[in-house]
Amino acid sequence: MEKRKGADLLQKQSRAGWIFLAPATLMIAVMSFWPMISAFITSLKTGSSANMQWANPVTYNYTRMFSDQLFMRSVGNTFLYLAVQVPIMLIFAILLAQLLNNKDLRLKGFFRTCVFLPCATALVSYSLIFKSLFATEGLVNTILVNLGILSENYNFLGNSTSAKIVIILALIWRWTGYNMVFYLAGLQNIEYSVYEAAKIDGANGWKTFWNITVPLLKPTIIMTFIMSINGTLQLFDESVNLTNGGPANSTITMSHYIYNNTFGTGVANFGYATAMAFFVFIMVGILALINMKVGDTRD
Amino acid sequence: MKKKLISMLLAGAMVLSLAACGGGGGNANGGSGDSGDGGNTQTEGTDESAGGSSEGGNTLTVAAWDPAFNISALKAAEADYKENVNKDFVLEIKEQAGSQDIETLVTTAASSGNYETLPDMVLFQDHWIQQYVRDYPDAWKDVDDIDINWDDFYAEKLDYSTIEGKHYGVPLDGGTVIMAYRVDLLKEAGYSIDDMKGITWEKFIEVGKAVKEKTGKALLCMNSDGNDLVYMMLQAEGVSQFKDGKPNITGNDTLKQVVQLVVDMTKEGILLLPNSWSDYTDSAIQGDQVAGVMNGNWIIPTIQKVEANSGKWEITTMPTIKGGEGYASNGGSSLYITANCQNVELAKDFLAYTFGKSTVTYDNALKDGGVVSTYIPAGKSEVYNEGVEFFNNTPIYAQISEMGSHVKTIEQSSYHYTCREKLGAAIINIVNGGDIDEELKNAEDQLNFEMGN
Amino acid sequence: MTEKNRSMIQRRLIPTYIFLGIVAFISVFPFYWMISAATNTSFDVSQGRILPGGYLMENFKNLVAGRDLWGAMGNSFLYAIVQTILALLVCSLAGFGFELYHDKKKDVVFSILLLAMMIPGVATMIPLFKMISNMGLLNTVWAFILPSISTPFLIMMFRQNSRNFPVDVMEAARIDGLTEFQIFFRMYMPMMKSTYAAAAVITFMNAWNAYLWPKVTMTDPKAQTMPMLIANLAAGYTTDYGVLMLGVLFCSVPTMVIFFVLQKQFAEGITGAVK
Repeated sequence: MEKRKGADLLQKQSRAGWIFLAPATLMIAVMSFWPMISAFITSLKTGSSANMQWANPVTYNYTRMFSDQLFMRSVGNTFLYLAVQVPIMLIFAILLAQLLNNKDLRLKGFFRTCVFLPCATALVSYSLIFKSLFATEGLVNTILVNLGILSENYNFLGNSTSAKIVIILALIWRWTGYNMVFYLAGLQNIEYSVYEAAKIDGANGWKTFWNITVPLLKPTIIMTFIMSINGTLQLFDESVNLTNGGPANSTITMSHYIYNNTFGTGVANFGYATAMAFFVFIMVGILALINMKVGDTRD
Repeated sequence: MKKKLISMLLAGAMVLSLAACGGGGGNANGGSGDSGDGGNTQTEGTDESAGGSSEGGNTLTVAAWDPAFNISALKAAEADYKENVNKDFVLEIKEQAGSQDIETLVTTAASSGNYETLPDMVLFQDHWIQQYVRDYPDAWKDVDDIDINWDDFYAEKLDYSTIEGKHYGVPLDGGTVIMAYRVDLLKEAGYSIDDMKGITWEKFIEVGKAVKEKTGKALLCMNSDGNDLVYMMLQAEGVSQFKDGKPNITGNDTLKQVVQLVVDMTKEGILLLPNSWSDYTDSAIQGDQVAGVMNGNWIIPTIQKVEANSGKWEITTMPTIKGGEGYASNGGSSLYITANCQNVELAKDFLAYTFGKSTVTYDNALKDGGVVSTYIPAGKSEVYNEGVEFFNNTPIYAQISEMGSHVKTIEQSSYHYTCREKLGAAIINIVNGGDIDEELKNAEDQLNFEMGN
Repeated sequence: MTEKNRSMIQRRLIPTYIFLGIVAFISVFPFYWMISAATNTSFDVSQGRILPGGYLMENFKNLVAGRDLWGAMGNSFLYAIVQTILALLVCSLAGFGFELYHDKKKDVVFSILLLAMMIPGVATMIPLFKMISNMGLLNTVWAFILPSISTPFLIMMFRQNSRNFPVDVMEAARIDGLTEFQIFFRMYMPMMKSTYAAAAVITFMNAWNAYLWPKVTMTDPKAQTMPMLIANLAAGYTTDYGVLMLGVLFCSVPTMVIFFVLQKQFAEGITGAVK
């Protein structure tokens, strides 16, 4: 008798739980999963957006992308940004968090605010700011020439290597503070006594960093890694607003190329574009999975 | 306690700003007057026919993109029609960020099969219409029976918007190419504007070298990410980048010659290739780095932004490969009536009266926005024949109007912009050391790939 | 700790101060440049002038001339505030439900929802656009917010932070006769205040800065947002950089103010503090 009553109660609670999560779940189903399914169907079709037919063969759009030099270049670019920018940014963010977590440090709030400030700018805004800073007649050139580092104004955004570097610098500027906040939060959960103990044991700064900070921050690191991978693979605004993919498509990202195939250049090749978008989806999924597997310490 | 206070303050601030915003939005909309229905309906979600106007009224909506240029022309037309035909007429202009946004507007509406978002009329660049009519045939209303004498317009201009013999658009501005020179700088190098008329590109390079040496400035410039030079230089030769609907690149000797010229000029420093459109207009032209500009005549307002150079510019025709005056047209747009227009008769009447034949509209469009028409009689008006102070008091608009009638009709393609992009990329690669034949082959392959050939 | 000891520690920290000072300078400099540019003529800006000029009023006049700056500001505030309120409500309910009522089935649902985080925006844009336009919601606040009310990230954040919510308090409340909903509204919400603050900052910033989706759905100039207005300034045949940077400044101030005001709660919320 007693047992039944408890089960009833549990059932009631479980039902309440379902009610709580229902609105969010339904919204994601309708606003993300349903469009994704519908996009998948589109990815099997060809033709202009208004009258599409089934592709022949149905996998046409998927095989096509592997012989598309431009798409392959955009994949290469995106992975370059990923491989260079994400590690630099995250290491830098942990380092800053570690420095700011020092209880003897003064002006902590000031430094933290400064470093986080870039995240408060709209993507459109900061791309425009960086574009004008690095313009051929822009401020960076003026400073470098006056300091004698450059002999004449350099077209940073006109050379494929330097344009990529500017994009990476812009990304680091914009997102380091964002990630740092997560690490800082994670560090504040670590008892200070752990560090005191390490100090007594004679561990130096680097040792404590690698042996204590990094392992304890592991969950946060995994989370920021997944977020950054996801963000970088979907990189769009910087490529559009800073370089417009140029020069000669040498800085174009996957999302930008997909956008060009839908709205950007008026081609409206939706079938092909959604197929490429699925490729991105699968890439993000695989990388996130690897990340979670590598980082999973639970048994 | 303190925390509670802060959160209360915050909540209060949020509510206040909400209220303030609602009110602010309403005031701003109401205050601007010409926005038709006034209030901030968008926030209540009742403005369902956001695109077109309602049936039988005196209001038309139109999407356009540059307040300093084509929107000025539309306002001139509105005023003209209001004063002389229908005093209740209202033209509601839906300003877009750029011509690309109008393309996005059309693509999204057409691909979702919902034309309700389209305004009654849209203004866009002529190269698109062929593709749009092919891809979304039911999105447009043809204007074949409109009261316009089509012979009054340049044949080359109408060639874009006439599809299978049917007219779809009413021209707003033309893209007749001008070659503008800084005469003071030419003089420093020992040349005059008359020396530049009908010359070969070879001679142009010679002059360019002299100007570069004497003044340090380049004689030509173009943005590298949307390089229009090849198209314009080819058109002056009467050659197209397409043949029978297929790319005509590798087998096109004229094209190869033109690309080689562009590359050579870049390497010599005679031709400046800034990265983007804004670098082209803002740092190259307005930054006073060049002694010559060649583009559609809509570039004139940009040149005029540097007031210090007033009186120092003049215009003439383009050079050609073998010599002789070159004529081309680049850009320019027309107005198209969409399927969402409930008031087609009013739209046709408006277009026929204003851009179809009114020199008042065209005169004011020129005065307010520097918009040069493709309506041949407009070039005979007094306004067009006045000397322009900035251009050394020469009557450049009459000159342009005359030049426009010589432009040769060449094969157009809905893949115009794709082709431009591929060739632009090829040029950058060749300048950086790539092989011309290989790069042109790549460009053609990629273009074929996108065209699905 | 002695005075001497303290000053020794501070002296050892000098390299840290220098390093942080440089980082802070690099972080803040573009903002200085933006403000300075807003007071200069377009020509000066494009030539890289670094000092502030006297052109601010002129730029402001040009900025408001012919465009509805306050309307765009109002729209951006409206959309961002409505989205923040709804997103916080929906996602915190879900986070609460997933963590405190969790069982096998709900965990499966949760991992499926996380998948949605990986869906690239460009992929769903076209079907979403069709859906929204069929509902007749284009150019309304709903078109703007519907796709981003429920986000896996926020649900995850609320779920993570709900781990610190004391279960025994819940049990006690149930014995006192509170319904599950009352527990949520009367106990969970006040206790999770800092998580709400952090979530509000993130959501507000995302909504305020959104560009691509509004560009497609909010085509009526009357429904325009601030980032769109800025992009308009940078389009057209010529760009006035002074005016543009002033616009960028107007667009950046609200998010910066919100961050300044909620900074402390934001940090606490990210940590998962429960008060």
